[in-house]
Amino acid sequence: MMQFHWRKLGLIFEPKKITGRPWLTEFAQAPCAIEVDDAIRVYFSCRPAADHEGRYVSYSSFVDLDKDDLTRIIRVAQHPIMALGAKGTFDEFGTYPVSVIQDGDRMLAFYGGWTRCESVPFNVGIGCAVSLDHGISFKRLGPGPIISYSPDEPFILSGPKIRFFEGRWILFYIAGRKWITFNGRPEPVYRIRMATSSNGLNWIKLNRDLVETRIEEDECQASPDVFFDGSLYHMFFCYRRSFDYRGKEGGYRIGYAYSRDLVQWTRDDSKAGINVSESGWDSEMVAYPHLFKWRQKTYMFYLGNQVGRAGFGLAELLD
Amino acid sequence: MKWKKIGKVFDSSRHPDFGEYDGFAQSPQALVLADRVRVYFSIRKKDEVGKFLSNVSFVDFDRTMSKIIGVAKRQVISLGSLGDFDEHGIFPFSPFHHGGKVLAYTCGWSRRVSVSVETSTGFAISDDGGYSFRKFGIGPVLSASLNEPFLVGDSFVRFIGGRFRMWYIFGTGWLDFPGESNADRIYKIGYAESEDGVNWERLNRALLPDVLDENECQALPSVLLMDGVYHMVFCFRHATGFRKDPTRGYRLGYASSFDGRSWTRNDAYLGLQGSQGDWDGNMQCYPHIFSCNNEIFLLYNGNDFGRFGFGLAKLDSF
Repeated sequence: MMQFHWRKLGLIFEPKKITGRPWLTEFAQAPCAIEVDDAIRVYFSCRPAADHEGRYVSYSSFVDLDKDDLTRIIRVAQHPIMALGAKGTFDEFGTYPVSVIQDGDRMLAFYGGWTRCESVPFNVGIGCAVSLDHGISFKRLGPGPIISYSPDEPFILSGPKIRFFEGRWILFYIAGRKWITFNGRPEPVYRIRMATSSNGLNWIKLNRDLVETRIEEDECQASPDVFFDGSLYHMFFCYRRSFDYRGKEGGYRIGYAYSRDLVQWTRDDSKAGINVSESGWDSEMVAYPHLFKWRQKTYMFYLGNQVGRAGFGLAELLD
Repeated sequence: MKWKKIGKVFDSSRHPDFGEYDGFAQSPQALVLADRVRVYFSIRKKDEVGKFLSNVSFVDFDRTMSKIIGVAKRQVISLGSLGDFDEHGIFPFSPFHHGGKVLAYTCGWSRRVSVSVETSTGFAISDDGGYSFRKFGIGPVLSASLNEPFLVGDSFVRFIGGRFRMWYIFGTGWLDFPGESNADRIYKIGYAESEDGVNWERLNRALLPDVLDENECQALPSVLLMDGVYHMVFCFRHATGFRKDPTRGYRLGYASSFDGRSWTRNDAYLGLQGSQGDWDGNMQCYPHIFSCNNEIFLLYNGNDFGRFGFGLAKLDSF
């Protein structure tokens, strides 16, 4: 199998440097890039300051990069791409992360919607929204989620990545399987899943884990980002320990798996070719990989320490 | 319809076998067995934070519904674990016979922060004739969807014409009303079909028109097919003031259909009223219509959502 080698281009978007947008004070999580008219638009999720109880809401928005220099920002969105959900809905407290795809004249966004629970801190469902203004703003297809909880995927449906392969829609996402308690705090355990659809609305779940665990039985996996090279499907994803994962030890790392049929995946993290740096913004974690092909080159957008608190960075695939 | 009211037939708060509970016997639902009628219901107990948890239990009647002959001696179905959709209660619980087993659809409760609760429908199977049930998976079989965004529950299922048919409720809004400290929920009755009882295809619309106003809440559809006609008994109420004000609380409604999907509502046809000053004088809710020994029975709860048990009526004539 191919060994990937990456050259890190550094932290390219830092929310701390942005002013005049109170909804964007910290975090730029789960980058997702798409070409628009005059730029490469990178969607991300961010947060206003926490409330008096330390709780966050999250919005999704975008930053536009120079087509001739993906490390140069030419525009920052004026607003989030959508408001939070109505009272009692699945996305009342957050829309994070988001995955955007062009569909004819319109753009579709699949996103994680966050609600707050009593016994556990949150639950997440997957929603869908449409943009008719080239991705500046999105409107929900409906007030509820497009992927529902089910017997084998009971909670925490999140991290959607929308693709169109072999004439059908493919949604890679994560599903929670249990909550564990560590130091008195409930922590979700989640794995990578997949669903398919002929119309983007009605989804058939595969109902199985795509990627085996490696570091422990309750390893948590996220951000399944898949591309096709003409003969093989490649997946970059991130994984972490189920407990005590907020620092360097146990924190997110980027893994890799490949498949010929989208169903059977072979994991080989040694091929991923990207790891934490000696120092700096990504010295404790590398997380939420998103691959983007542009002008014969392949780039990876990714997050660093504290899962994107400082912003997102970029790496370039070496031949 | 003309009903003979038998009166209250079971009160968990006065039954010695249920002394550890805090009353309630909500949403009675019958499973007709060879030698008895088992009536499942939800009973409440306070948890460590002082909030109620609903658990499923049952009481057995003889087949004429005139005498209690037994009660559940052990747990019928467990509540969910941390973070599960049914962690904070199962209410209601709806059993039926299918393929030599007893199947049940549950309404699981999970507490929220900005609103009080979210519910979803679970599926469970009994291998011991209805004494205990194992869950089909950890998660629900019917939950929030694009246009039914929350509060899916009260599922009532029958296998008719080679398909599983489900009547259930779904939420349409959490609304803030003047003078109310918490948001109040609005819900309507819907319909879905399934080949296997697990994967459901929704009709995606409310089955019944409102008679009060657009914020009318409709709950607990119970359906009986007789001579080609589907009869539905359900309950409905105003969105606010329904707990204390008897004029705004639950009443029983009725609708009929030839296919289970298109319904004609005619509440007056049911012909069952509360008895002033009696156990069902202020409220009638959570009905369950069933047949046994060529008789049609109606189980239902009365005042205070069934805190003081459930009652029974027997159909005299159509």
